[in-house]
Amino acid sequence: MANVRLENIRKSFGKVQVLHGVSLDIASGEFVSLLGASGSGKTTLLRTAAGLESVTSGSISIDGQDVTDLPPEKRDIAMMFQSYALLPHLSVSENVRFPLRMRKIGTREEQAESVRGALETVQLGHLADRLPRQLSGGQQQRVALARAIVSNPKVLLLDEPLSNLDARLREDMQVELIEIHKRLGLTTIFVTHDQEEALGLSDRVVLLHKGKVEQEGTPADMYSQPATVFASTFIGSANLVAATISEIDGVLVARLVDGQTLPLPANIAKRGEVQLVLRQEDMTIGGEGQLKAKVRTRVFLGARNRYVLSLAGQEIRVLAGNDEIFSRGQTVSLGIDPARIRVMSD
Amino acid sequence: MIFVALTTILLLAPLIVVVGASFSASQFVVFPPQGFSLEWYRKVLSSPEYLNAGFVSLNVALLVTVTATLVGGAAAIAIHRKQLPGSEILAALFLSPLVLPTIIYAIGMLMFWSSVFGPVSLPVLWISHTVIAMPYVIRTTLAVLSESDPFLEEAARTMGANRMQRLWLVVVPQCLPGLAAGAFFAFNVSFDEAVLSLFLRKPGLTTLPVQIYGQLEFSPDPSVAAVSAIMIALTVILILVIDRFLGIKKFANA
Repeated sequence: MANVRLENIRKSFGKVQVLHGVSLDIASGEFVSLLGASGSGKTTLLRTAAGLESVTSGSISIDGQDVTDLPPEKRDIAMMFQSYALLPHLSVSENVRFPLRMRKIGTREEQAESVRGALETVQLGHLADRLPRQLSGGQQQRVALARAIVSNPKVLLLDEPLSNLDARLREDMQVELIEIHKRLGLTTIFVTHDQEEALGLSDRVVLLHKGKVEQEGTPADMYSQPATVFASTFIGSANLVAATISEIDGVLVARLVDGQTLPLPANIAKRGEVQLVLRQEDMTIGGEGQLKAKVRTRVFLGARNRYVLSLAGQEIRVLAGNDEIFSRGQTVSLGIDPARIRVMSD
Repeated sequence: MIFVALTTILLLAPLIVVVGASFSASQFVVFPPQGFSLEWYRKVLSSPEYLNAGFVSLNVALLVTVTATLVGGAAAIAIHRKQLPGSEILAALFLSPLVLPTIIYAIGMLMFWSSVFGPVSLPVLWISHTVIAMPYVIRTTLAVLSESDPFLEEAARTMGANRMQRLWLVVVPQCLPGLAAGAFFAFNVSFDEAVLSLFLRKPGLTTLPVQIYGQLEFSPDPSVAAVSAIMIALTVILILVIDRFLGIKKFANA
């Protein structure tokens, strides 16, 4: 266990600058997610922490020791790859033993004991003698996890480890990751493009956008208080609706481009041209709505329905329950709790 | 269908003719065989020329297998990692013996060797066979490497493996099926090779194919068929052994 400090990391590949000065302080035992779209630099940042990429400028320290110029094999880390990267010619237990063998940790008996322990942790003790290709994707994934935790590294780096799994397995693995993290308390950096995964797993979410930190905070804060337009659309995939805010008879209202109005709570300070941030899950259809919208498409999601609506000439998405079905072309009322409306200037 | 049938017939018919003729009691190479006799096998196995040629061929082929596999494997790994400058060009160069007419290489090698080192000897056959056998090893090893997970070496780095450990514990084990397939091809290429062996021969340094050719030209009798049948048998045995230990499927894939 150790803290990790990334200071003003810049990274260019040839003429393309991927990281524009990213600083990050990760406390000992913390679980931090690097969240971002592809091309945001999240994987590159993780790889610089691993030492697989050199930095153009900036410094990296692990447990107070400057490791900026150390190759990965000299850093006390473990990394899990998206492809799992199990050695195909070695058995499961030999794969898990590999880091201990390379780092010369313990005697052969102690290594065997650690391997058994790590495999028990991921519930794969019974498959120790199999070869990787004889395992399912989910099992290979667990082997990779066992291999990453077996040497008790100072930092655990996870590069989209769940993205190759199907939805069901993914949920199971998320729960398992949380529990393992609680038990072992390893300092963990987790890269993902999936906002739900980031919010669900981590102590802190770092949202990266175009090689910079867009916003960071606890999952709850990131969700309820997105600081920028990008943050609000990426986390919670909110709708942005153009409006003008003015005071009419002492009541604050937002006027949409087609003239519809939406009352706002009095504590909003912004005036004039703004973007209203309306979250898909905060809106209701068919009730006592303040707005009118037209149904374009309905996507059945099982427990819920996602509606694509036309509001003031623009497309918005709304998550609604199953109890009432609206059909295409129907005009529906659209409601939102005024306290849940956020306002941003663009 | 027709083409497959035709190809199969054209592939197998000569083998059947050769093996059939080798058991003939006739003085000449004829098919269908007349009578049955093991006379020609007896002649081959008691002929010092054939035995000597067979020994030279086997000797060269084994040496070539070792060097072509080592050098070709190393070259394939270097090309795959794009470690060398201009590795594309190097790859093309290493594979060029596959397309370059062997006879041109044979003439060049003879002239080069004679002018620099003097008379031909076993090493020149060894080296030149290695050159033409190496592309097979490179091809099969590259094929295996290109299918392997590109993140394996990086993963090994994050687990603390240094350069040599990564080479021996990660890269080479992955190459093994390709190397084995390449070694098999290398042995066969060298053992079969006639053009280079013909140009670079001297008394006492005659390989089996050259010996067969000479025999066929000057005193054709079914001993030629008998020795060919023995070569076929050797190849079949080699394939069976490899299939037994590695599985022929891997070879087909490589």
